[in-house]
Amino acid sequence: MVARAIKRVAYTVLAAAGVGLVLVALFLLSRTAQNSDDFNRLHNVILAINVAGVVVLFVFLVGNLSRLLREYRTHVPGAKLKARIVGMFVGLAVLPLLVVFYFSIQFINRGIDTWFNVEVEAGLENALKLSRAALEMQMRQHLYSTQQISQRLSDVSERQLIFELSMMRRESGASEITIYGANNRILATSSDSSSASLPRPLAEEVLLQMQQDRPYVALDPDDFEIRTAVLFTSRGRADPIGVLQAHFPVTERLARMANSVDTSYREYQQLVFLRKPLKSTFTLTLTVVLMLSLLSAIYGAFVLSRRLVAPIQDLVAGTRAVAEGDFDTRLPTPTRDEIGFLISSFNDMTQRLATARREASLSQALVEAERTNLEVILARLSTGVLALESDLRIRTANQASGAILSVDLESRTGEYLPDVAKGQSLLEQFVDVAQVHLRAGETEWREQIVLRGEVGRRVLTCACTTLPGDESHSAGYVIVFDDITALLQAQRDAAWGEVARRLAHEIKNPLTPIQLSAERMRRKYLDTMPEEDAQILDRATHTIVQQVEAMKEMVNAFSDYARAPDIELGIFDMDKLVHEVVDLYRAQESGIDIVLTSDPTMPMIEADMGRIRQILHNLIRNATEALENTANGRIDLHVSAAEIDGVDVVQIRVEDNGPGFEEGSLSQVFDPYVTTKPKGTGLGLAIVKKLVEEHLGSIRAYNHTEGGAVISLRLPLNEAAREAIITKAPARADLRRERG
Amino acid sequence: MSRAFINSHSQRSTTRSRCLSAIAALCLLVQPASAQDNVDRPGYFEVRSASSQLLDGVHTLDARLQLVLSSEALDALASGVALTIELQIEMIRVRRFYMDDVEAELAVRYELEYRPLSQRYIVRNLNSGDQDSFATLYSALNSLGRVQGLPIIDDALLEADRVYRIRLRAMLNTQQYPAPLRLLFFWRDQWQLQSEWFEWLLER
Repeated sequence: MVARAIKRVAYTVLAAAGVGLVLVALFLLSRTAQNSDDFNRLHNVILAINVAGVVVLFVFLVGNLSRLLREYRTHVPGAKLKARIVGMFVGLAVLPLLVVFYFSIQFINRGIDTWFNVEVEAGLENALKLSRAALEMQMRQHLYSTQQISQRLSDVSERQLIFELSMMRRESGASEITIYGANNRILATSSDSSSASLPRPLAEEVLLQMQQDRPYVALDPDDFEIRTAVLFTSRGRADPIGVLQAHFPVTERLARMANSVDTSYREYQQLVFLRKPLKSTFTLTLTVVLMLSLLSAIYGAFVLSRRLVAPIQDLVAGTRAVAEGDFDTRLPTPTRDEIGFLISSFNDMTQRLATARREASLSQALVEAERTNLEVILARLSTGVLALESDLRIRTANQASGAILSVDLESRTGEYLPDVAKGQSLLEQFVDVAQVHLRAGETEWREQIVLRGEVGRRVLTCACTTLPGDESHSAGYVIVFDDITALLQAQRDAAWGEVARRLAHEIKNPLTPIQLSAERMRRKYLDTMPEEDAQILDRATHTIVQQVEAMKEMVNAFSDYARAPDIELGIFDMDKLVHEVVDLYRAQESGIDIVLTSDPTMPMIEADMGRIRQILHNLIRNATEALENTANGRIDLHVSAAEIDGVDVVQIRVEDNGPGFEEGSLSQVFDPYVTTKPKGTGLGLAIVKKLVEEHLGSIRAYNHTEGGAVISLRLPLNEAAREAIITKAPARADLRRERG
Repeated sequence: MSRAFINSHSQRSTTRSRCLSAIAALCLLVQPASAQDNVDRPGYFEVRSASSQLLDGVHTLDARLQLVLSSEALDALASGVALTIELQIEMIRVRRFYMDDVEAELAVRYELEYRPLSQRYIVRNLNSGDQDSFATLYSALNSLGRVQGLPIIDDALLEADRVYRIRLRAMLNTQQYPAPLRLLFFWRDQWQLQSEWFEWLLER
């Protein structure tokens, strides 16, 4: 982060320095283009800086452009917008710049061209020619006078030469006249100058003219002095002995004007010569300026587009993050403009979304917890709960529902209920009843259903309600049902118990006086009565006493059934107990063969030994009584330990070869006063069933296929087995509590 | 610059005939009038000969240069632009086991200018301020190309037992021109007139 900031600052400083340098260079370039001497030396350097600026900008631009292209191709968010902005800015910058450039070039070219005027040029040329003509006339005159002087001096003797020379110089108006002999030796000279310096030797071109025997006349270009030279011949000699050179000053006014014409003409010619280079330089300068401006504008467009698009790119990235579910995205808000406002709005939105999601997940967790609680409650409920979709597919079913209907409904979630019911007689009957109601369009119904199973009937109370859905369809149904078979049985048992208790109480009370009265009558009147009457009285009182005894016995049995002392659990050896009981019956020699099959290695059982003993007595007695009219009566008693559905139990099965139960009363054999035997109170099996259920065991009665009755019961081996039974069928616990 | 009035005809004619042929060629090449026929002539500077003499304890230079101006330079001259021709002289101390060392440098600059009114060429020594005018460009360039007795260095300034080399070259100097012209000259071969170095050992 810090490194990035430093880099950014460095980059900005560098860019500012570069721009500053280029601007200064541009300024200097414009100054040099105006031909300012101060910057002449720097011109190339300045131009180089400008060109370098152009090159650097160009390199930057190429880099930026290639990056933009790459981003455009890879569909980086914001690339299209960036390209559009750059294109727009470039379009906006390039066209005006090109127009300005074009017109500037035109103005420069025409502006420079207007310096040059054909008439001025012609005028200057004419002025030059005129000046030249005027000077040439003077030159000819001075040459003529020089020739005159030379002729006149040729007659003068050497002695008078200097004198004559001076005089003639003054006459002719010459500033200096010198006569040169061989080897540039000065023969005579006269000058109006007061300085003592010697005249300069003859110029080479003068000598050349002289050698060709031609006079020499020339105009000194600087001080407009006319120089003439002719051959000098001495008196009496044919060959010239030297050269006479004279200097004539031009009049000051003429010299000034000639100088002015000369200078003006030269300067004009220089301008003409400079015209092309000037145009080239201005064009070059303008081009460099144009390139710099153009490239700067394009680069600026890139920078600007990057600045503009950066927050938008952030927004795009942020939106994507939000779309992917990351609501913790916060974007930096760099500016206070509309985009800054947009970004802060985005931040607000994500914050609210995050809060909303937190709340939603919190409430979802709450709902989940509630649901879990509900599931636990449903699972622990002894009432069966079955939720169905509107098309009768199972939505949920608790464990109790499966236990009541003997089908594992929990694992069949999502299946069509009638399909699940196929082959399951209890569920099938249940579904038939339910479907009758549902087809009739009843939304709320309640019914007590009697289901007929293999081991007897089951009575269910059933209530159904429709779940609220939308207007046209119901969301499904919830059927709540309870197995009240045991409850009904318990109620019936309680009723019977009450009946028995009252009967015993009501009957027993008068029995003793009856018995005592009969015995008293017998004692008092037997001896006093005649033999015949005494016999009748004896038989009658004997019968009364006997029947009262029998009735007492019956009443005691009643009270036994009604009495329900607390169960006392203890650990004992079942095998040993069975042997004891069987030995007791074997000793009676009733003529019935009792065959005991018992496993001596069977584990100790935790149960109420007295009650178990009573169960065994009742069962054996019941079988014995059933075999009273059967020859070769035989009782098979099987006792074994086993594990059934994960529960350790002791199985006791008593089989006899008697007539068996009547088919019609098979389902009611355990009800009190249901008996097929000539003897018996009809309470034996009812008591057995009551005792077995107190141990949370199960009992069933059926006929053997080869004849004879079978009573089979299972007793849980220990507390753990009893717990397992309660877990599987919670209704049994209620029964147990009720009984306990 | 010393000039000798020629008294010996034979000597004069041999020198002159040689010079005249060169003049004829030069005049054809370098006259401003001839430059107007749009023929581009590259021009060249060359040091034909050079030698040094020790006179009264001062080393003087005698040299003969051939200076042929390019068409563009001639155009500029005809347009009143003064040309600067520079003679560069370097005194180099010869070292046996090390790179040779430039002991002294001397630059003599001459300005050549055309005056349209008098139709004469002016040659001005910018170092001394002396000037001469010539009727033809040839005579001006000829005068420029004939260096005689130019004092270079006092012998006392040189180490007695050392060996020195002298080298000389002539070049067209464009430094004094205005920037637009210099910029133009920078790219033009015709303005890059410069002779090779002419080198010899200093005689003492």
